Amino acid sequence: MTSTEATESVRPRISFYEDRRGILSWILTLDHKRIGLLYLIFVVAFFFSGVVLGFFMRLEMVAPGGTIMGPQTYNALFTLHGIIMIFLVVIPAIPTTFGNFFLPIQIGARDVAFPRINLLSWWLYVSGAIIVFFSVLTGGGPPDTGWTFYAPYSLRTTVNVPLAVFGVFILGMSSILTGINLVTTTHRLRAPGMTWKRLPLFVWGIYSTSWVQILATPVIGITMVLIFLDRFFGVGIFDPTKGGDPILYQHMFWIYSHPATYIMILPAMGIVSDVVPVFARKKIFGYMAIALSGMAIAAMGSLVWGHHMFVSGQSDFADIVFSLLTFLVAVPSAIKVFNWVATLHKGSIVIEPPLLFCLSFIFLFSIGGLTGLIQGALAPNMHLHDTYWIPGHFHYIIFGGMGFGLFAAFHYWFPKMFGRMYNRKIAIRAWTIILIGFNIFYFSMLLLGWEGMPRRYYDYLPQFRTLHLTATFGSWILIAGLIIMFGNLFHGLFKGEKSKDNPWNGATLEWQISSPPPTENFWKIPVIRHGPYDFKELENNG
Amino acid sequence: MVLMILRSLKIMDEAKAPLSEEVIDYTGAKLGMWLFILSEFVLFGGMFILYAVHRYKNPADFHHASKELDVILGTLNTIILLTSSLSIAVSITAIQKGENRLSMVLLMVTMALGLVFLVNKGFEWTTKIGHGIYPNSPTLLARPKGEILFFGLYYVMTGLHGLHVLVGICVLSVMLILIAKDRINQVHFVPLENAGLYWHLVDIIWIFLYPLFYLIT
Amino acid sequence: MEIREEGHPSKYSTYVLVWMGLVTLTALTYTIAVRIHPGGWAILVALAIAGTKSSLVLNFFMHLKSEKLLIFKVIIPLVMAVFLVFILLTFSDVAFRGVVK
Repeated sequence: MTSTEATESVRPRISFYEDRRGILSWILTLDHKRIGLLYLIFVVAFFFSGVVLGFFMRLEMVAPGGTIMGPQTYNALFTLHGIIMIFLVVIPAIPTTFGNFFLPIQIGARDVAFPRINLLSWWLYVSGAIIVFFSVLTGGGPPDTGWTFYAPYSLRTTVNVPLAVFGVFILGMSSILTGINLVTTTHRLRAPGMTWKRLPLFVWGIYSTSWVQILATPVIGITMVLIFLDRFFGVGIFDPTKGGDPILYQHMFWIYSHPATYIMILPAMGIVSDVVPVFARKKIFGYMAIALSGMAIAAMGSLVWGHHMFVSGQSDFADIVFSLLTFLVAVPSAIKVFNWVATLHKGSIVIEPPLLFCLSFIFLFSIGGLTGLIQGALAPNMHLHDTYWIPGHFHYIIFGGMGFGLFAAFHYWFPKMFGRMYNRKIAIRAWTIILIGFNIFYFSMLLLGWEGMPRRYYDYLPQFRTLHLTATFGSWILIAGLIIMFGNLFHGLFKGEKSKDNPWNGATLEWQISSPPPTENFWKIPVIRHGPYDFKELENNG
Repeated sequence: MVLMILRSLKIMDEAKAPLSEEVIDYTGAKLGMWLFILSEFVLFGGMFILYAVHRYKNPADFHHASKELDVILGTLNTIILLTSSLSIAVSITAIQKGENRLSMVLLMVTMALGLVFLVNKGFEWTTKIGHGIYPNSPTLLARPKGEILFFGLYYVMTGLHGLHVLVGICVLSVMLILIAKDRINQVHFVPLENAGLYWHLVDIIWIFLYPLFYLIT
Repeated sequence: MEIREEGHPSKYSTYVLVWMGLVTLTALTYTIAVRIHPGGWAILVALAIAGTKSSLVLNFFMHLKSEKLLIFKVIIPLVMAVFLVFILLTFSDVAFRGVVK
């Protein structure tokens, strides 16, 4: 047994759930684990609502012409689907849920650096969400601009853009505060012996992400403020009738929104980097390469935003520069993929749901990345921009990448957070169905885009009918798989078998404390003497 | 929302106590504040980018419009804010030396200077508005595009800056109360130091706003 | 109890000297703009002076100079690099519109 386990087993096992009860003890909590769970509940709820919106979008698109709704409704649906999925689900998901819950434990701390700011972040998140939902119900109706709110349309359309952009602004504030909290926590609250080189790669992932949150989010903050001010006061900065430049809006928007995609993926990559070694029973290949490539992705990913604007009217010179930089940012991502595969090579593979989600992450993220390179080249982009290729690409990356990383985390950390286990067989079956449905759905989108089907279009020519039908069919399989997966997890939550403290034999600190963890995590702050993937060490001492 | 910001700034430094005494990580608290300041730099930085682009495209119009701003008032406001930075810096040193009364007096001086800054800004704005120059006004819209943009940027940037000054004054008033209640003192002064960092941030932003709006030649 | 790594508070006189430097630089930038009219160089000179003033505020009023940890030395260059990258890449578009490659 490690010294941590020896001390922890002596301490009475009161989990952080039992410590204080009642709803106020949750919504006014300062415990990072409770805040992580509060976020988790909302992220999952918003994910469901985003999926429902997507379901109806696909239902409408199953046949040309109107099927179940009019064009204005369709435009509102894809706008809301984007706003909810991007700002309420994918950007916050991992840092605020698993980041909050596990980063302090993994570094050997009792909580984050600023617990009250953590609570404030959650309240801002909820407030931002409420404001966004109000934008659906009030004023001229929900926004129809796409989640990208491009000017000048967003300045003129009579629907409820101001409330929606204000909601996004509040959500941005929440994100910045989370970033500040987690960077400070990582710098200041590491346990003795927990050097930067002994940090779990999940922590490195969250750390890189947090820097992007701090440095990129303010740009969208100010951009949303300017949309708001232009609509109410006619300031004119993006309005061509007043000398403003709509392309400048796109620059400001994407300066944040491209790095935002790295806020989405870096934590998921961190999860994969933590999970793969555990289920290969082998130290990660190239620890420093993975840690530093994450920082490199954060840095270089901030230089490529113009690849969203190749056909916008920006200069040819900018096109060339951004295309080149886009190709360069693929390099650190590829380094990670190589290292994960190298870790698996000659490892003792243990097939469990977390590993399966990670393996499919690697596959789907690679497809997403490669399609990204295709559209990052200028000539193909002329044809592919604003076609279905683009949502095909980003669903592979965001859903196939970040989404599957999130699902891997659900299945990996479930026993630790809840002290129970889900049904393994059903989890694997759900995974299979999700994977099949996912590929039928989104690969069809890539093909549709390649054939020239425009995106955000309510109607389409008959030649696209078969692929649309296939895509919708794929979406039903995908949703069925998701229902089974979540059903299994919810069932495990209430009726699952009690789990051991370390069911996967992980070597990171969260596995050395009880499941669920006690309040303040550690009876005594541990002294760290080995790295996060030193399984041999653990087995020798155990 | 302002209250939430105030509360968060005030309590940002109190790390969770590990089962025994209240231990405060002074360096951690400062680091958190600095990271927040970085985000504010980027927030205003975004607007400076917009300013740069529009000035690049409309150099003559910007020059022309800038002449309508009162350069004396602008320079005076710059000196006022610089002096307020001095007073708060000395205020923090005073509390570190245990000179609580001096610290409080200097805090009040800082707040007063901040208020004078805002009053001056108010004069500038009301004068302009009185001449019909404000976003979307018929007078302004009749002018060349570059001038419309200049004044659009002027109002937004100095407005957002002014809002930050106002928030700063509110934060300082809270600090004043805390010193009076001995909750901030020679032993525990990091909230005041963090409030000072915020105030200096507001000063630095103005250091750039001043030449970019008032001194275009 | 506060855990603190830093040393003693600055002297009052240091602050006053810095303030005098700031006021002088303000007078300088005003004079150059209003009296000397340097034309094309104007914005560079103004930004250089503003940069110097900010540096004084950052290092002395905000005590960056006396911070010992690496992270404090890194953050201002970091945010400057970020800003520089954003503005340069934006200008790669704005300054080259209408130039056919």
